[in-house]
Amino acid sequence: MSAVIEIEGLRKTFHSLRRGRRVAVDGFDLLVEAGQVHGFLGPNGSGKTTTLRALLGLVRADDGRMRVLGEPAPDRLPRVAGRVGAIVESPQFFGNFTGHRTLRLLARAGGVPTSRIDEVLEQVGLRDRGHERVKGYSLGMKQRLAVASALLKSPELLILDEPANGLDPAGIREMRDLVRTLADSGVTVLLSSHILAEIQLICDHVTIISRGRRVAAGRVDEVLAGFDRHEVLVRVDEPDRAAELLRAAGLTVTEHPDHLVVHGVDDGATVSRTLGEQGAWVRELTPLRPDLESVFLELTGPAGHPAVPRQVDGSPESGADARDGEIDLDRRGVDA
Amino acid sequence: MNLVRAELERLGARRFVQLMVVLLVLAFGVTALTNVAISHQPSPSEMTVAQQKADSERREMDLLHERCLARQRGELPAEPFDGSYYPADCSEVDPGLRERLPVAADHLVGVFTFSKDTRPLLYFLIAFLVLFGFLVGASYIGADLNSGGVVNLLLWQPRRIAVLGAKLGTLMAAVLLLSLLATVAYLATFWMIALVDGHVGPVDAEFWSDLGAVWARGLVVVLLATVIGFAIATLGRHTSAALGAVAAYAVVWELGARLVLEILEVSRPDQLMLSSYLGAWLAGRAQFWDRNACTDPFAGFCDGTYTLTWPSGLVVLLLLAGGLTAAAFAVFRRRDLL
Ligand SMILES: Nc1ncnc2c1ncn2[C@@H]1O[C@H](COP(=O)(O)OP(=O)(O)OP(=O)(O)O)[C@@H](O)[C@H]1O
Ligand SMILES: [Mg+2]
Repeated sequence: MSAVIEIEGLRKTFHSLRRGRRVAVDGFDLLVEAGQVHGFLGPNGSGKTTTLRALLGLVRADDGRMRVLGEPAPDRLPRVAGRVGAIVESPQFFGNFTGHRTLRLLARAGGVPTSRIDEVLEQVGLRDRGHERVKGYSLGMKQRLAVASALLKSPELLILDEPANGLDPAGIREMRDLVRTLADSGVTVLLSSHILAEIQLICDHVTIISRGRRVAAGRVDEVLAGFDRHEVLVRVDEPDRAAELLRAAGLTVTEHPDHLVVHGVDDGATVSRTLGEQGAWVRELTPLRPDLESVFLELTGPAGHPAVPRQVDGSPESGADARDGEIDLDRRGVDA
Repeated sequence: MNLVRAELERLGARRFVQLMVVLLVLAFGVTALTNVAISHQPSPSEMTVAQQKADSERREMDLLHERCLARQRGELPAEPFDGSYYPADCSEVDPGLRERLPVAADHLVGVFTFSKDTRPLLYFLIAFLVLFGFLVGASYIGADLNSGGVVNLLLWQPRRIAVLGAKLGTLMAAVLLLSLLATVAYLATFWMIALVDGHVGPVDAEFWSDLGAVWARGLVVVLLATVIGFAIATLGRHTSAALGAVAAYAVVWELGARLVLEILEVSRPDQLMLSSYLGAWLAGRAQFWDRNACTDPFAGFCDGTYTLTWPSGLVVLLLLAGGLTAAAFAVFRRRDLL
């Protein structure tokens, strides 16, 4: 598989007279290969948008190597720009133009046949509103227009920074279907979002960024597997007795008011066999698999005190050198 | 080419541009209507009277010149009885050497006369176009930088210099075209008014070449103002940067620094002011007084004036516009766009 986006050691510091230096991206790496639907996750202010801006030549990186579709970015971007559709952080459009006209101007600037305009408006569900002025659009409609503008070029690579921002539930599902359809037709997608369930549903790969550094990357299932503690939830009629039986069989058990959690079990059958042999019948046996949300929170944020509002960009202090915290999937695999 | 076409459409769709064009048409309409209202077609008898007045004025000039010459030849007493003043050099009153001779149009009251009234009207048009160019130039890029329009465009055409260049080029072409159209419409309208409701007056090749020169100089200023507005707004990322820069320059330098220089008795403060060069370019030359030139009380006659010529005016204006534009492009090439 060929690399579509390669970023190595990207660094970007913003300087401002009043607020001084702000490190936005701090040695970040990203690899997206052809055909992937790649989720790009990170807390607010972790550097996602800055990374995408640097990649697309909108901000000047301080350090690092970047390639898009094999061409060095941003120097050779003009060569591949026609094959990359992108939206970066809710693009703004000129309010006096209709959606249709907005797209026509972009199409003209990029040399795309204008016949594409109606197709993409249809694709994002704006067919009937395309001839209204953009300033009369709702947030979600503007977002749809933005996605339409990215699709206009029939891109090989689609970069979407929070495309679901402002979309209604149906819109989110439509976006998901759209991304799926595109991916099926061979488009590579890099997608940033805060809706983790969504990412888990559509993405096959993820990269998680925290404080400008990569803290996890790989196939979604592998990243999740890396956090699998092999726990199962057990419900039985006599929890105390069941706990004793399981401990006797050498398992670690935590007792909860209405259920037990058994740790370090690879196979649920071990639990049901141990209990069943002693006549304690299992009523429910659920493997506790980590979802992306719990992994994300564990990687990027402290559990925190509920009474203290978490501040943006607040990764755990101990993880100040986040590189140490980056999970190495291979090693985790061996441990497990 | 595609970029330019897209830019042209954007420019035409800007509310501000539309507003300014409407204002131009309005100002134009008001001027034309006022002239129509106060003017009337001179009757043959009015023309005759005016012609007579012009002729007699002409005769008086001839007479004065003749008397002056006669006095020089000693045929007349050195001290004239009628109290008239005769210059030492009679060529000063030679009608044949005057730039223009009295014509009937000078003596028509309440009549719009094309040959006489067009020049100030043209200056008015140029002043409006300068304002138009500057404001549109500044707001066009300023609004686009702020609304994310430039960012959207760069995602499609990640060549910053080309994108900015297309914007500037389109803007200049549009302002030039508008200026041409406005001038033609303007002159044609006043020509019609003169024909129908006034007097054309003597319009010869010299008249047209004079008017053309005024217009050409004005047009250069219009284009330079456009470039300067565009460049400052690009540098400051904001339309208001251009307005602020001009206001600040006018107050701090043209007024404030001028005062300070006066107090310090610096020789030629006007030489340091942009307005002097602008005046020199527009008028062909500008004369200023050098306060330190004639300080020797025994030197006899001393001409304390100095002149700025139009070439120096043009050079200064071009350097300013060119420098700002170069800076704008250089900064825009490397800047972080958000
Ligand atoms: N123009 C700027 N000037 C100064 N600091 C900036 C600028 N843009 C971004 N930053 C800082 O860089 C850091 C990363 O910002 P970025 O927008 O990349 O975050 P993000 O991951 O996209 O966040 P979000 O999820 O909220 O969109 C933040 O701390 C932000 O304050
Ligand atoms: Mg962002």
